[in-house]
Amino acid sequence: MNSIDLKTILHRTVSTGYRDLVTRHTGRAVRGGVEELLDGVDGGQVAVIDFGAVGCLDISCADEIVGKLLLDHGSARYFLLRGVSEAHCEAISLVLERHGLAVVAEDRHGRFQLLGPLGERVKRAFAAVMETGPAAATQLAARLEMTTDATRLLLDELLERRLVQQEAGGYRALTAL
Amino acid sequence: MTRVVEVPAHFDDRSFDQFAKAYGVPGEERLLFDAHAVQWAAPYGLLGLLVAGQTTVEQGGQPPRLTIPTDRDVLHYWGRTGFFEFAGEWFEIHGKVPRVSVTRSSEVLLEITPVRGSDDVHGVVGVIQERAAAILSGELGLEATATMGFGMALSEACQNIVEHAGTSGWVAVQTYHWRRRLGRRVVVIAVADAGMGFRRSLQATQGGRYGDRWGDATALEAALIQGASRFRDPGRGQGLGGIRRYLNRWDGKLSIRSGTARIAIVPSWDDDIPLADSLAPFPGSQMLQIIPAKQTE
Repeated sequence: MNSIDLKTILHRTVSTGYRDLVTRHTGRAVRGGVEELLDGVDGGQVAVIDFGAVGCLDISCADEIVGKLLLDHGSARYFLLRGVSEAHCEAISLVLERHGLAVVAEDRHGRFQLLGPLGERVKRAFAAVMETGPAAATQLAARLEMTTDATRLLLDELLERRLVQQEAGGYRALTAL
Repeated sequence: MTRVVEVPAHFDDRSFDQFAKAYGVPGEERLLFDAHAVQWAAPYGLLGLLVAGQTTVEQGGQPPRLTIPTDRDVLHYWGRTGFFEFAGEWFEIHGKVPRVSVTRSSEVLLEITPVRGSDDVHGVVGVIQERAAAILSGELGLEATATMGFGMALSEACQNIVEHAGTSGWVAVQTYHWRRRLGRRVVVIAVADAGMGFRRSLQATQGGRYGDRWGDATALEAALIQGASRFRDPGRGQGLGGIRRYLNRWDGKLSIRSGTARIAIVPSWDDDIPLADSLAPFPGSQMLQIIPAKQTE
């Protein structure tokens, strides 16, 4: 995995004195810094965007950094947001809702969750992939107590949104990459 | 010729319309803002006073006169909030301004601070977070998560000036005990500017949708309820929604006044009306956020 530390980028692109990701102007500059680093990351790898050292995240910045990054690169790349606080999640969720996007996030205690306007069944399927580890659709269907076809539909949505990855004969969580 | 604009004795969001009415639409006459009898002023009122002074001067009028409060405590409080740091630019001040240093204290969390651009917003958010955390979770008894969203709500309110006013503005944050009005302690964020206001800011992108109904009230509704923006970027216009969500969660109040209208998200403890139209016109936009202490059983 390639980890991109947002505080480092904030210091490099905006000011060394800041620890908060606030204002659209800042968000735009930081996104530019992230995109520069993404150029060196293979599309099959997971780009980890690290919020761990970030203080406040406002909605404008969340929109520039997470929203626009997913809109512009989300169909060709895997993203994982790391070190997000509850307040970060609130700002990011609002942005994802507006754009109809979703992303995998890991909080500061190492717990993973899906952020974005997804149905409960899709979230359950994601949790099953997380808990089971790399697994075939039939295994996941058994765990979810659903038919294989219905499970595949949910997994297809997760795949399409680049929230899980497909490997020979099965599905795996981004966290396992 | 001089026209007297009386500043309400208790000058806050509740008496603001009275002040706006007295301010009216300045003409050729010189204005005299009479604050000598003021007994109490909230940051919302003080920012409104600055906006009135700025607008008068920027519209080509003579610098208005301001008679300052005679009450020593009130006057010193105005000094501690930083009001006089800026008032001198827009008013000819009558009365002796006390030599009081602008201080952050148990009540003044953030003195009146100008907001001109992105750097100012960073400065404001950076300064306030530690103090806000102590107040919100300590004195107001809110969960720790309340402090995390506070910076977001403050930042988005300030950015509203940077992005939409077309001029600079001010922000102030204060905490006090509302004994009579609520019986609880509150944190108040006041933000104001003398800019173009919501109706003009949104006119190009939203005005056509509303046709004849377009006005200050519909502009405020479009911004706060629909998340409309003057920018065509679909990611824009989420800031006020974020503030609204934050304040809803903590039983807070949000009120925005622009032009002749005021819109509010009203919690159960307040008796304001959700939308007021046909008010006395006032320049720019004024935003008020109130976060109350947790209600004890």
